[in-house]
Amino acid sequence: MGEFEEIVLLVVAACPEEAYGVNIWEDVQQQTGRSITMSAVHATLYRLEEKGYLASTMGGATAERGGRRKRFFVLTALGVQALNDIQEMRNRLWQAIPPGKFQLIGG
Amino acid sequence: MKNNHTPPHWADRLLETFLSPHMLEDVQGDLHEVFYKRVSEVGLAKARREYCWAVLQYLSPYFFKALNQSSKSTIQHVIDYPSPSLLNPAMISNYVKIAWRNIAHNKSFSTINILGLALGMACCFMIILWIQDEFRVDAYHANGPQLYNVMERQFYDGKVDAGRGTPALLADELKKEFPEIVYAAGLSWEEERTFSVGDKLNKEKGRWAGADWFKMYSIPLLAGTAETALNAPSNIAISRKLAENYFGSPQAAMGKSIRIGNKEDYQVSAVFDVPLASSVTYDYLLSWKDMISHNEWLKDWGTNAPETRIQLAVDRNGNTVHPARLEAKMKSFLKSRNPSIAKSGSDIQLFLQPYQEAYLYSNFKNGYQDGGRIEYVRLFGIVAVFILLIACINFMNLATARSVKRAREVGVRKVVGAGRGWLIGQFIGEALVLTCLALLIALATVWLLLPTFNSLTEKHITFQLTDASFWIILAGMTLVTGLIAGSYPALFLSSLNPIRVLKGTVKFSSGARLFRQGLVVFQFALSLLLIIGTIIVYRQINFIQTKNLGFDREGMIYVSSEGELGTKYNTFKEQLLQMSGIQSVTKMDGTPTNGFGSTGNVQWPGKDPKASIQFQFSKVDYDFTKTLKVKVKGRDFSKTFGADSTSYLINETAARRIGYNDPIGKPLTLWGKPGTIIGVIADYHQSSMHTAIEPFIAKLGDGQIIIVRIQPGQTKQALTSLETLARQLNPKFPFRYRFADEAFQTLYRSETVVGSLANYFAFLAIFISCLGLFGLAAFTAEQRTKEIGVRKVLGASVLSVVALLSQDFIKLVLIAIVISSPIAWFGMSRWLQEYVYKIDISWWIFALAGLLAIGIALLTISFQSIKAALMNPVKSLRSE
Repeated sequence: MGEFEEIVLLVVAACPEEAYGVNIWEDVQQQTGRSITMSAVHATLYRLEEKGYLASTMGGATAERGGRRKRFFVLTALGVQALNDIQEMRNRLWQAIPPGKFQLIGG
Repeated sequence: MKNNHTPPHWADRLLETFLSPHMLEDVQGDLHEVFYKRVSEVGLAKARREYCWAVLQYLSPYFFKALNQSSKSTIQHVIDYPSPSLLNPAMISNYVKIAWRNIAHNKSFSTINILGLALGMACCFMIILWIQDEFRVDAYHANGPQLYNVMERQFYDGKVDAGRGTPALLADELKKEFPEIVYAAGLSWEEERTFSVGDKLNKEKGRWAGADWFKMYSIPLLAGTAETALNAPSNIAISRKLAENYFGSPQAAMGKSIRIGNKEDYQVSAVFDVPLASSVTYDYLLSWKDMISHNEWLKDWGTNAPETRIQLAVDRNGNTVHPARLEAKMKSFLKSRNPSIAKSGSDIQLFLQPYQEAYLYSNFKNGYQDGGRIEYVRLFGIVAVFILLIACINFMNLATARSVKRAREVGVRKVVGAGRGWLIGQFIGEALVLTCLALLIALATVWLLLPTFNSLTEKHITFQLTDASFWIILAGMTLVTGLIAGSYPALFLSSLNPIRVLKGTVKFSSGARLFRQGLVVFQFALSLLLIIGTIIVYRQINFIQTKNLGFDREGMIYVSSEGELGTKYNTFKEQLLQMSGIQSVTKMDGTPTNGFGSTGNVQWPGKDPKASIQFQFSKVDYDFTKTLKVKVKGRDFSKTFGADSTSYLINETAARRIGYNDPIGKPLTLWGKPGTIIGVIADYHQSSMHTAIEPFIAKLGDGQIIIVRIQPGQTKQALTSLETLARQLNPKFPFRYRFADEAFQTLYRSETVVGSLANYFAFLAIFISCLGLFGLAAFTAEQRTKEIGVRKVLGASVLSVVALLSQDFIKLVLIAIVISSPIAWFGMSRWLQEYVYKIDISWWIFALAGLLAIGIALLTISFQSIKAALMNPVKSLRSE
């Protein structure tokens, strides 16, 4: 899983309401502080769904989008597992860093 | 207002075309959501720019439709709606129900629609039947492809002429000379002769034909065989009609004897039944040997009178001999038989015309094939298409004009999921249903009018229900009409935007209005073409029929000098002149409008030896110019001058060609007999207006046709006198006569038929166009009810309202006039080129046609516009 995919997956996981294209895109930009195109977010969401990390359902018709429905994304068990795996790996790596090393470099 | 707050249309379209369908809805939704948010944050322009930019970001392979086959499967449930079939019984019954309600609800519109279509189709169908019948003529012979007519191409006097007349000996000689020819037969001109069997006496029309005639042509024989029908000089083949009239039945007729001309007896050798689709007709055929023995002059290779027909051989592989190769071999055949051709410095070549083409391609210009009836076939084919188009346009116009009423239906159908294709199918289907209804009416109309049509065109067209082509034509016509008529309404209605339609603010684009106006212009331009054409044809026919021919054809009677009338002509003439009602009597070969023959054998001092000028000639009796009422300079033949047997009368054209300044008294030699010119007669038309007046020579002699001039206003007495005297002198022959002006009319038979047909079709075209205009006017008046109400409240007069409603339509008609006039002028001047003597196409014809069209259009519209203008504004404004 790439870094961007991880971020998107995390944003979906962290989203307090139902997550769909627009709020995921906004959150990703907000969290990363970078300007990201919506197409990149959409492509990633669909790719994650293909990989089985996300699942999607279509919501009800909405007024403000010309009647078009939203696609809500939720994490699958596989997605949760993947995030956990990454987090575990990170934790292991963090713990492997010798104490005091950062102070030396960061000076 | 909201209109402007949407993302750029093109960007959405772009997205819709390339984005994978299962992603489209949510991706586009997300984009729109962001767009609207951005509009309020940064303004419309920037938001739109950003939107476009964002859309362009999706132009990556990942989002493309084609590449997403695999991913589709995972998200398929998203697009997996049940798709209702167009052919679902419920849908069909719905379509039928809606179609029926539409027809029933707008009775006047439906009537106009169906009636217009029905008239157009009836007209078109009739013309197709006629064209089909024209192509059937002479097409029934089993040997058809091998049959050819031998024709002559004559080069003389600097001109080239093609003719059907050939030497009478040609057929037999050709057959002997060329192995490629299996059968050959001559066919003579038509002769009317008196038949007597027992005490039955009648005149019958028939011809002489070669012995191979029935072997070549598939003419059913009811008795006798093709081999023996015409092989003996005293044989006669008669039609079923004659056999039944004289003998009771075809079988009873065989071997019986018929006396012709109260002189010779012939034995019936065959009974035939000439099919209706034959171009030549005859009630009897006599043998070729009989022909030669009756017409000694035909033994000369220099005379050209009968037609020659041949049948080409078929080789072992079933291929016909190549006609072009035979033609090349035959080309100079006549020169080998007739050495005088080469001597005279002219040339006569033989050529072939396929027999089956001869009927439709009968005209020759400068010696080569140039049109004929086929031109009328094409002309009427075009007219048929025009009229059908006009009817289709009516339908299209009314349907689109009324589409406001159906727009809601389209909106609802679209909302509940109808695709555009289905809507198109629905509307075209409806058009087809209406066309089918119209077809029934059209068939009934044609069926009722067919007898009249047949008598007008001299045809025997029937509904051939067993013929596949009949049904194919019907089906094809219905399909084409339905598709054309339904196409535009279907495309137009199905393109409506459901949101706007359901909001109730249907505003049609100016394009649609323009298109509708274009259709009206087109319709009227076609109608005007037909009107102008009709006026010109009518005027030309009128011109022909009233033109001063140079002789007076009113009150002149032709009587054939048969039997005793020929031998006792002088007694007949003397006695007749004593009787009441008769002014003068003369005799000539042929008739004034149907020349007898021409000759090149005319000499005069100072004639260019190389010039070969053809002179029309006739033997005439005393009182020739008096009876015809032709002006003469010099004198007519007269008994007071004894030597008139070598005197000649020539016409002005002949005088000009000869080159005499003062021809009277000058020498002239005809057929080697030197004589003098005693008078110059004023030019008169010897033939139809298609040909120029030719040089003419008359000499005193024994002609075939007695010409009687009646005292003005005493036709009845004159006929009684004639009949009494003819009965008395010539009891063995029935008395028959013909009026000169009647004979003259027959020269223009086809013009008259075409003229009256064109009349009907022009009337129909303008009528159908007006039906459409009527409907359109009703529609506009209805749409502008409120406007008219307001105008009236504010003080508009009835007249100004009528003018307001009419002017739009009048503009269209004016445009149509401008478009159609040059086209009509071009077409009609081409038609007039066929005549040597013709009318000028003057501007007032176009003005008249234009005024007529405007007048008719105004009349049509006025009914609706006056109705609308007279309406009480209280009523029309009440509902607001």
